[in-house]
Amino acid sequence: MDQAGEFRESLRMVRDSAAAVVPHGDLRRIRALRFTDPGFDRATWKQICNFGWPSLALPESEGGSGLGMRGFVVLAEELGAGLVPEPLISAAMAARVLSGAPLSDLLAGTSLVIPAWQERPNSLDPAADTTLRNDRLTGRKLFVPMAGGADFFLVSAREGLALVPRDAAGVMLSLDRTQDGGTFGTITFDHAPATPLPGHLDRALEEAALATAAYLLGLSRRAFAITLAYLATRVQFGQPIARFQVLRHRAADLKIQWELMRASVQSAAVTLDLESDLPVCRAAVSRAKARAADASLFITRQAIQLHGGIGYTDEADIGLFLRKAMVHANLYGSASLHRTRYAALALEEYDA
Amino acid sequence: MPDISPEALASLEESAFRSCIREFLVANYPPALRNPPKRLHFRDTKPWYLALSRAGWLAPGWPREWGGMGLSAARQLVMIEEFERHGCARFNDMGITMIGPLLIRFGTDAQKRFFLPKILSGEHIWCQGYSEPNAGSDLASLRTEAVLDGDHWVLNGQKTWTTLATDANWIFLLVRTDRNAKQQQGISFLLVPMDLPGITVRPIINLDLHDEFCETFFDTVRVPRENLVGEINRGWSMAKALLGFERLLLGSPKQASYALARLRLLAERMGLADDPSFQDRYTRLRLDLADHKALYEDFAEQVRRGESLGADVSMLKVNQSELYQRITETMLEIAGENAGLLEPMGGNRELHPSGLFIQSRPTSIYGGTNEIQRNIIAKNVLELPG
Repeated sequence: MDQAGEFRESLRMVRDSAAAVVPHGDLRRIRALRFTDPGFDRATWKQICNFGWPSLALPESEGGSGLGMRGFVVLAEELGAGLVPEPLISAAMAARVLSGAPLSDLLAGTSLVIPAWQERPNSLDPAADTTLRNDRLTGRKLFVPMAGGADFFLVSAREGLALVPRDAAGVMLSLDRTQDGGTFGTITFDHAPATPLPGHLDRALEEAALATAAYLLGLSRRAFAITLAYLATRVQFGQPIARFQVLRHRAADLKIQWELMRASVQSAAVTLDLESDLPVCRAAVSRAKARAADASLFITRQAIQLHGGIGYTDEADIGLFLRKAMVHANLYGSASLHRTRYAALALEEYDA
Repeated sequence: MPDISPEALASLEESAFRSCIREFLVANYPPALRNPPKRLHFRDTKPWYLALSRAGWLAPGWPREWGGMGLSAARQLVMIEEFERHGCARFNDMGITMIGPLLIRFGTDAQKRFFLPKILSGEHIWCQGYSEPNAGSDLASLRTEAVLDGDHWVLNGQKTWTTLATDANWIFLLVRTDRNAKQQQGISFLLVPMDLPGITVRPIINLDLHDEFCETFFDTVRVPRENLVGEINRGWSMAKALLGFERLLLGSPKQASYALARLRLLAERMGLADDPSFQDRYTRLRLDLADHKALYEDFAEQVRRGESLGADVSMLKVNQSELYQRITETMLEIAGENAGLLEPMGGNRELHPSGLFIQSRPTSIYGGTNEIQRNIIAKNVLELPG
């Protein structure tokens, strides 16, 4: 097998390994975790850490798999297909900038570090106002996914990054429920004691945005598969509704959008792995995230429509996919934010 | 003339191969024929056809023993990419792309020895006779009939969309040879010289006011018996078997890329380049094109690996043609009253929104309408019960 063939084989193994936590067809675990605190299962999180997934995208020299973002998007896609709520994308983002004991504790699954970087709705600016002075952190962070399960927050401030224990003095956490059954945390830091860290989130944010696009790719794939199976079995007017051409053509259109999303995500992963120039990476990520946000909402909306009345019940699984897409489509930047960013980068030469 | 033989060319590694082709195009391709707005006639493309023929570069996919270059699908793709990049016009290529490969695969030795050299020399120019007035998307319902009478087939019927038939001196036909067989099984492949008595060609003026289409009538035309290719009543499956990696090309981002660059130029001319609402639409189209290219690359990669394409390549055709059309629709919308002009704006060929708009219309019709392509996706890719 040539090198490219071996790489493809490694990616296939990553995909297969994801089956360990992605239930085949059975979404009972996912349903049971909805609207609970912290919204995910710590035993499953430990299992995810045992597989080494939070560090999968890191270089081999830093304990990663060497499969880079090409490997990580495959994993994120599979987790999306299973609607897995455990905070892998957040943890992988933290793993990208941590080192030493905090990193090994994170990777061992003993201490969950969740990045708290966002200060404005629909923004990719990690440190608008928060300050870090004399190892004291002051500011407010928004939309922190699964914040209730964190042991530490990795916080971005104007002066740099810092690590703050969740239960430290001056840390106030309030949770809002999200449509998919999880939570967003709002965290207020009032002179909270913090450990400054070197580094920045530039690249980690791009990776998280792309992984989120891959998660949307996976949940769309599964939502589409469930819908195709429904079309083939649901009988009206004496025949499976899959025979009706208007529905067949709709299904073909969903397939095309899904394939565009896949191609966009995978090519952006290649760009992140091979390209060091940040604007080039950002353009690729924006392209993938814009496509994934739009296409996943298109596919999950149509999935509900093609199910008819049953699709509007909470009992039907298909609704879980729409609700998940509603939350993830706008995480790490909405489609319109990413289109604007893509245009602002004005990299027309990269179109060629 | 390239100072390199087809054999030596084929043995070059890819980047050298690519640059060799580029140099050849710069040196030999007639500049006036770059990116022509309409399909050209043989009277225009003949010098280029003959230049390729002299170089031995006319038939990249044919085996060398029959005068081809014997290139792999991957290398043919490189060649096509470079031709597209240079803006090379399509010439009367039915002999090279359709009938040559058909004969090489299914023809008799005598047929190969007679026809193949004449295609390469430009002596025989071919056109395709598949569609009929009542057999378009439903091609298998075709009714043009050939009945054996001694040593001749007696041919009656009508073909349509016989592109550039007025240029051609030979036509290849799908004809019904068994009325009683099931639709696809009573069809044969017949080669017919256009100068036989009883053949009439009539140009059809298309929506672009161009005469590339024709309709061709056959009234008791007597065709020698040996002009049938392969087995009788097996024409349909032979025609299908010829569908190779070329289906990729219907989804090439070439047309959409070309149109998007013209849209940008038009927006500048109309003073809209910085208009936020135009910018939003333009960015969406750019992203659509970039994602289409990523998808195209995945299929091209399959071809490069030597794999054969599946039915899912239909997705590329649908997406490319509809993107191309969205771009030209945007051009029409932002052009103001210029959208109604018959000729390019200010005589600048690059600024012809109405022309490009009209030229984009048939892309969702030819090569299997997009509705048929969606049927194929639903049936063969998604495997929905039919």
